Amino acid sequence: MSIAEAEAAQLSVEQPSGLWSDAWRRVRRNPAAWVGAGLLLFFVICAVFAPLLAPYGPQETVGSLAAVPPGPTAEYPFGLDEQGRDVLSRVIYGARLSLLVGLVSVAIGLSLGLVLGAVSGYFGGRVDGVIMRFMDLMLSIPGFLLAIGLVTLLGRGLFQIMFAIGITTVPIFARLLRGSILAQREADYVLAARSVGTPGFRLLTVHILPNSIAPVIVQATLAMATAIIDVAGLSFLGLGPNDPSLPEWGKFLAENAARLQNSAHLVFFPGFAVVFSVLAFNLLGDALREAIDPKLRA
Amino acid sequence: MTDTQPVDTATRQDTDLVRVEDLKVYFPSNDGLIFGRKGNDIRAVDGVSFTIRRGETLGLVGESGCGKTTVGRTLLRLYDPTAGRILFDGNDIASLSGRNLRRLRRRMQMVFQDPYSSLNPRQNVANIVSEPLRVHGLAKGSEADRRVHELLDIVGLPAAAANRYPHEFSGGQRQRIGLARSLAVNPDLIVADEPVSALDVSIQAQVINLLEDLQNDLGLTYLFIAHDLAVVRHISDRIAVMYLGTIVEVAPADELYARPLHPYTKALLSAVPIPDPAVEASRERIILTGDLPSPANPPSGCRFHTRCPYRQPTRCDDEEPALRELASGHTAACHWAEDIDSGTIQPRQDAVAAPLGGHSGDAAARPVA
Amino acid sequence: MPLLEVRDLQVRFSTRGKTVYAVNGISFDLDPGDTLGIVGESGCGKSVSSLAMLGILPKPAGRVHGGQVVFDGEDLLTLPDERLRHIRGNDIAMVFQDPMTSLNPVLTVSRQLTEALRTHLDLGKKEAAAEAASLLDRVGIPDARQRLRDYPHQFSGGMRQRVGITMAIACRPKVLIADEPTTALDVTIQAQILELLRTLVREEGMALILVTHDLGVVAGICERTHVMYAGRFVETAPTGELFANPRHPYTVGLLKSVPRLDAARKQRLDPIGGAPRDQTSEPTACAFAPRCAYASTESWEQLPVLRELDGATGPAAHRVACWNPVPEQDLVAAGIRQAPTGRQTGDQPDEERQA
Repeated sequence: MSIAEAEAAQLSVEQPSGLWSDAWRRVRRNPAAWVGAGLLLFFVICAVFAPLLAPYGPQETVGSLAAVPPGPTAEYPFGLDEQGRDVLSRVIYGARLSLLVGLVSVAIGLSLGLVLGAVSGYFGGRVDGVIMRFMDLMLSIPGFLLAIGLVTLLGRGLFQIMFAIGITTVPIFARLLRGSILAQREADYVLAARSVGTPGFRLLTVHILPNSIAPVIVQATLAMATAIIDVAGLSFLGLGPNDPSLPEWGKFLAENAARLQNSAHLVFFPGFAVVFSVLAFNLLGDALREAIDPKLRA
Repeated sequence: MTDTQPVDTATRQDTDLVRVEDLKVYFPSNDGLIFGRKGNDIRAVDGVSFTIRRGETLGLVGESGCGKTTVGRTLLRLYDPTAGRILFDGNDIASLSGRNLRRLRRRMQMVFQDPYSSLNPRQNVANIVSEPLRVHGLAKGSEADRRVHELLDIVGLPAAAANRYPHEFSGGQRQRIGLARSLAVNPDLIVADEPVSALDVSIQAQVINLLEDLQNDLGLTYLFIAHDLAVVRHISDRIAVMYLGTIVEVAPADELYARPLHPYTKALLSAVPIPDPAVEASRERIILTGDLPSPANPPSGCRFHTRCPYRQPTRCDDEEPALRELASGHTAACHWAEDIDSGTIQPRQDAVAAPLGGHSGDAAARPVA
Repeated sequence: MPLLEVRDLQVRFSTRGKTVYAVNGISFDLDPGDTLGIVGESGCGKSVSSLAMLGILPKPAGRVHGGQVVFDGEDLLTLPDERLRHIRGNDIAMVFQDPMTSLNPVLTVSRQLTEALRTHLDLGKKEAAAEAASLLDRVGIPDARQRLRDYPHQFSGGMRQRVGITMAIACRPKVLIADEPTTALDVTIQAQILELLRTLVREEGMALILVTHDLGVVAGICERTHVMYAGRFVETAPTGELFANPRHPYTVGLLKSVPRLDAARKQRLDPIGGAPRDQTSEPTACAFAPRCAYASTESWEQLPVLRELDGATGPAAHRVACWNPVPEQDLVAAGIRQAPTGRQTGDQPDEERQA
């Protein structure tokens, strides 16, 4: 068949491209993604190699106690704090906790949210009603307030904090996935799979989920940014991790807010770290959204 | 197909592959989001009976909302029937479940209208086509690969297509992929729901020819659902016309076009534009007034009476017409079919648009069949 | 002077570093009362042409690359937006495949219609309301006065298209461009809408450009038809002549590939092989050559231009852009044409050699 031959010739020229690899290609073409990824990589390196990169330990006293700690100098580029500790070292070590909280809390929220959203969207009916009303209930409480409440309730252990922040993201993920599944559930290709006799679990995992998950991935990236802000916020309110030796950006801000007048560097550098790490996740999330969103596809 | 099927021997001899008896499919309709006051059910299919013979193509035509798609999907048990029976090779599909249903599904497959949405965009062609094999545990690994290549070859696609994704293909090619998937399990029956209406005309012909070749080579039986009457007539042996959830006429393809007996069929045929200005200029057209009534609240009596240009003062409004055999193999559901056919009853004048006559004088010399 | 004069219109789309040559030089004239059909398959550039004429190409991807669209002595392509908007409302109007694209979903039909009437025709509130009702009545919407208060989504598909047509004809335009106006509709509804368009053209004296993929639709309504392929007109003739004596292999291919209701059933359809040209480069040869049984070396190397087939010029002219027009005996063999009587078979028409 001549048509087939012509098509064969045409097909062998180009590389096969799946939707995911297409999306990946678009991400790589987006300069914002590169900036975000660069920033994120920088913070990850700081976190992983903190002991090598930081000139001093986070609790190490290198200067003397001072009511008005010295600002940046050549020796201490970010200056010293009131206990004579090196701010640069403390900010570098702080990346560990922020990234950890971002990752773990979103992982917790995502896994719970995915299960609830998938069950809700796939089964529908009464199950869906119950789950979604509960999610509505959670959404009616501002996320940060909910986190404060949970931390007060569960205690200020590191895991409890991550859990509390994670919980606040559950309804967002669940609702997003449910909506996405509802849109896909009646799609022709799902009907086609059903008509072939594909069993329910395979229907969900092979056909529906891979086509519904994209917006959730975008949201997860953005949620990490929010988680970093949340943990900083909790620390600022004195609800941060109760282990005083854990360096945490939000805690620096809280401890030194009163010194903003005289020793701005104590607030400025940790604040900058928060801003840039959040920016990194936001840039990445936006780039992913652009790459994945079918409406922007040519 | 060597499976032992639970079949009683009486129907085994039957020439009918599918027998649908008084099928009803209602969809619940709720108004109000929270306190769902129950509205009238949507009567998508409301008492439909027909048979499909082994190896034939039955065309099912009608306008959107007439229930033709629902009939097709219920046949494959994608929807549950509200009432009635669907016998596939003697087995009542409605009563099957679990493994028996799965086994029966191997014998009937579906081809969809929209070649863009009926293929999972995240699966490559090999996975799409081999899905039925995998689901029914028929082939794995290299055996499945071989089968995929064989199937691609049957539908006229190169083997290189196997590791590609749906979005890399044109509409016509995607429809071939869908066909390959439906052929994977050697089905007896294929329900093709508007398989060519999303394609360009030059591509339509390719796919129609392919469907016909496959039928000849593989002995398939088709239920061909479409709104394009010219295409349906080309491919079908017999045609059933649906209106608002019921079948109004069934006849052999050529007979239906030569001698339509139901007023709706007449109107439908006269509405199809003919690619020939000479014909267009000379023929009378019946223009139906108004829209399709709601299937949640169908008209009493004959469902077509609200738009029928032949409507009579008696019977039409209050007595539901049954499908009657008016000629051999030709049934219609109209109280007045004989009188309309003989010309005793004429259509309302305002429903008939005069021939256009006029503009294409240069073509008028051409004799018209 | 014709009402609308399109000369060598070219449209290109560029996205992500790729350029699509959507329309590659089309020209035609439109006189008052003309009905003109543009037929082609998806992607051939037929819809893009009409959008370009009205200056409503999707921005920023699409742009007019060259040509002129002269209406009433003004080139629409160079007019300032303000003036173009005025012409769009008053003199040239468009009906879309999906009428919802031209209707605002959150305003009642009455509000939208009267607003158009008041701004463009300078009518008072009462007059505009009365006119709106009579327009809806005119396009065959029952209970026009009642339905004015409804929102677009409350109309059925067919009725919505009637509303769309009402919006378009509200200011009595001189030119109505209908882009696949019946494609989304059922056949019986399509018949209603086509009947309406026919009546409007006859009674209002509007010129109509009907853009469609359906040969049957143009056959019933248009006096003249242009067949478009890969952004160019490949054949243009009075509709009767075009269907009785098609000469471009693409036109013949289209006619042969559709089953016909009024003819005896064929054993097999004759599809056009292959797929349409991907239009990512400028055409330098006949775009149809890869799918064409008549293609010669010339077809692969040189771009054919529209040429008159026989002596006829003016409104009766039949032009084909093809190096090897389909010979008459092949048309007879394909059942498109009756065998010529009183002529020897195999008599080569001499336009063959001209081309």
